[in-house]
Amino acid sequence: MTNWDIVWDSRDLLWQGFLNTLSLFSVAIALAFLLGCLIVYRLEDPKTRWRLPLRSFIDIMRMLPFLVLVYLLYYGLPSAGIRLEAWWAGLIGLTFYHGAYFAEILRGCRVTLSNGQIEAAYAHGFTPSRMFIRLILPQLMIQARPLIGNQLVYALKDTAFLFIITVKDLTWAANSISATYFVPTEAFVAVIGFYWLISLVMEMAIRYAGRFGHKRGFDHV
Amino acid sequence: MSNIASNVSMPSTEASADNKATDHAVGNRSDHVVEVRRLSKSFDEVEVLRDIDLEVSSGDVVTILGSSGSGKSTLLRCINWLEKPDRGTIHISGQRIGIDENSRKPMSQKALAKMRAKTAMVFQSFNLWPHLTVLNNVTEAPIHVQGKKREEAEALALSFLEKVGMAHKRDAYPFTLSGGQKQRVAIARALAMQPEVILFDEPTSALDPELVGEVLGVIKSLSAEGYTMVIVTHEMDFARAVSDQVVFLEKGLLIEKADPETFFTQPKTDRVKRFLEKQH
Amino acid sequence: MDASAWPMLLEGAWTTLWISGISIAIGIISGLGIALLRIAKIPVLEQCLVLYISLGRATPLVTLTLFIFLTAPSLGLNMDRSLAGILALSLNTTAFNAEVWRGAFNNFSRDQREAAMACGMTSFTCFRRIMLPQMVITSLPGLVNEMSFLIKGSPSIAVIGIVDLTRVTNRISAVTYEPLPPILAAAVLYMAIIGGLIWLQRIAERHANRLAI
Repeated sequence: MTNWDIVWDSRDLLWQGFLNTLSLFSVAIALAFLLGCLIVYRLEDPKTRWRLPLRSFIDIMRMLPFLVLVYLLYYGLPSAGIRLEAWWAGLIGLTFYHGAYFAEILRGCRVTLSNGQIEAAYAHGFTPSRMFIRLILPQLMIQARPLIGNQLVYALKDTAFLFIITVKDLTWAANSISATYFVPTEAFVAVIGFYWLISLVMEMAIRYAGRFGHKRGFDHV
Repeated sequence: MSNIASNVSMPSTEASADNKATDHAVGNRSDHVVEVRRLSKSFDEVEVLRDIDLEVSSGDVVTILGSSGSGKSTLLRCINWLEKPDRGTIHISGQRIGIDENSRKPMSQKALAKMRAKTAMVFQSFNLWPHLTVLNNVTEAPIHVQGKKREEAEALALSFLEKVGMAHKRDAYPFTLSGGQKQRVAIARALAMQPEVILFDEPTSALDPELVGEVLGVIKSLSAEGYTMVIVTHEMDFARAVSDQVVFLEKGLLIEKADPETFFTQPKTDRVKRFLEKQH
Repeated sequence: MDASAWPMLLEGAWTTLWISGISIAIGIISGLGIALLRIAKIPVLEQCLVLYISLGRATPLVTLTLFIFLTAPSLGLNMDRSLAGILALSLNTTAFNAEVWRGAFNNFSRDQREAAMACGMTSFTCFRRIMLPQMVITSLPGLVNEMSFLIKGSPSIAVIGIVDLTRVTNRISAVTYEPLPPILAAAVLYMAIIGGLIWLQRIAERHANRLAI
């Protein structure tokens, strides 16, 4: 039996890890993106009291390693009487951490948007929320596409940190196969292949979205 | 060379530039600084230059006129091989540029660089190197191409910066300068190569109107000192005042070649007549 | 958390810093090397480098670190933990830096290169004297940004038992049974380090913008 046969026999474990990684990742980035949009929408109002807390939140997340945030949630919160399961700590961590990054990316693009079209929207009777959803957000998403793509890859890679707090993800699968049967090279090559595959699929999706943006004349990105 | 450092007066520089040109002419196939023969060039099947002949004698100023898209900039850029012509030959002081005469193959990078050092170019968009000060922009090529010592190159550079009225900005970086100032530094950079010919590619086209005069003034003073120059320009009065010879390009063809008086007062072709009328 | 915890935290911070520092230095230089090799477009090698960069960007650091550390013995290599950590971080950051350098090369102004050619510079002189100094300035913001990403990824070396600034908090709380204070203290130290880098990046950006004019 070759080492690859051993890995093949452990495919259930790998599959479980793959599903865990994928589900955590997809739920988390959906929520994170929503969070990012909400933050940017809040910051639309120049006089909002949320300005300082939101800015600080973004800046703190940008200066913190993801694993430290997860440590705070998983090891730190029980001191405050809140006990989270590893999976939930991971999900909440990913959502808040990458939500802040999405907010920063969208905010950066928002600054470059011309004020004229916003005045035009008000002149046509749009409410602020409708204008944000119908006019601003679509443009931000098309413009920020490459940066959003990068951030998705970062988020995917950050899920691997959750192995350290015992989430049974892809990296956990590789580690346990390698520890049980002592086939580290094959187990990890297989798992890295999975990560690579997911990011290639995302890259293709982003490129496809890019063609859409191109058609609409957003060429300068 | 070192006497230039101590003695900034222009005649000495001029004399040395002249000597150089005549030195090279001795024993060569002609005494033209630039000689272009049957030059043709196409971009994607569009012929931009067709069988161009042009000669520039030492100390002469030749201006190339023509409407935009007539191929005049391409012709200039072929002279120092920034564009590779498809057919024809170019000689600089009797030496062929671009093609090795012995092997008939493209010149080595080194040989080409050596040929280019004999010509200098002033660009429409200045193309100063933004990471270097004004002085270092001017000394860069003398030191790293011609192998001059730093002190010698700096003394030389300062004398040329003085000539274009930019010596007081020697330590400034290009981003702090106005367009006219940048172009004057670019001219000093070209002069510092002590080239046999200076090529000007629409040197005032990127300038605000009020800055054009200072640059044209510098070029005029150079012509009075006997520098050999080929100038692509849209400034008609300037061309008339400064040229020894005017050539007119139309759709890649050289359709008129004359001294400025004849060109501007008695043009031979209708095309040039119409072109001149449109200018006023 | 008492006073004895601080020296441990600082020691953890030092471990994070020196391992990251070495990896950053390796990553910047080998990133430039790889970018230049890619620009040279040597067949086969070119495809290998594209594959490396694509894999390097997609592989999580934790996974890569474990992979290197666990695989090395089966290849007959005796790999020290720190070395495995440095190797993993460098392999990762090199892939990103190579793209930053390549971007700076490809976006370099054609006009300026022509001006250098017109002065009689060879391609090599032009690269050394005109392009490289400016590529350093224009790449710096991207490189510094990548440095802060490397520091943020550096806790991954904890999985192979290196006691860095993150893992040291486990050590401290194993004694004090109070995990929150050391984690918060570590967070503050990380924020100081990465905040410093973000500040540096801003200065680098200001410098780079000057060249753009």
